[in-house]
Amino acid sequence: MFRWRIGRDPFWHEFDRLQRGMDDLFGALTGRAGTAVATPFWSQARLFPLVNVKELPDSYLVTAEIPGMKKEDLEINIEGDTLTLKGERKPVDVGETASYHRRERATGLFQRSLTLPGKLDGENVKAIYKDGVLTVSLKKSAAALPKQIEITSD
Amino acid sequence: MADQELQVTPRKEAAPPEPEFTREGTHYSPAVDIYSNEKELVLLADMPGVSSDNVEIDLRENTLTIIGRISEESEKAQYVLAEYCPGNYYRSFRITEIVDQNKITASMSDGVLKLVLPKVEKAVPRKIPISTD
Repeated sequence: MFRWRIGRDPFWHEFDRLQRGMDDLFGALTGRAGTAVATPFWSQARLFPLVNVKELPDSYLVTAEIPGMKKEDLEINIEGDTLTLKGERKPVDVGETASYHRRERATGLFQRSLTLPGKLDGENVKAIYKDGVLTVSLKKSAAALPKQIEITSD
Repeated sequence: MADQELQVTPRKEAAPPEPEFTREGTHYSPAVDIYSNEKELVLLADMPGVSSDNVEIDLRENTLTIIGRISEESEKAQYVLAEYCPGNYYRSFRITEIVDQNKITASMSDGVLKLVLPKVEKAVPRKIPISTD
């Protein structure tokens, strides 16, 4: 019997480490960003849309590539520390006499939820949709900001 | 089609023909829809992150090339999650004689480039008058 515990089986840890090392090396040579997270092939997200999350000292920046959308077809919700993107990509009205030669752009409904690592300030969220890229800027709650602790000598 | 969940289609890298680009950077092949009706062919290309002044459309010798450039990342910060890598877009098509090359128009909005390629008007039958000398 086979034990398909790839990723958890200690035998594969070394291969996984090698894979990550090679990815980093390759990424460094070709100047690719995002080598902070080099996921193994079998756990890459297949959800739409793909998102990038950056952490700034006082906020999180979530970007997603969703071209060809109208603002009224997009819905962004925040609940606690979870951000949900929802929407529908509608197909272009081509008219009745048209015929497709190629159809590569997908259309349909999508929904994606992300839980961010820190606590968010629900009142302070800004979303911009420009050139097909949605950028959501979420401020961290005051309690989650890093604080410097004074040392007193007694 | 409208009821299914959208899936991500993995991005394909474009292989630019010789000569190579002078700038470094990955070039992706944008997803396109091409459809036609009686009077024109329409091409829609998904190029998110590209604004209308960063698109280059080159037409020479029956080859139509689309290049879309993205601007540099504005916030240099640590990635918590990186599922896609921004890059430039490149795709090249061969167009046949049906298209009237002088009347091609392009427009760009929300990261989608729309190219309208009108078809050549069919020759209108006409009588040729004979002049007597």
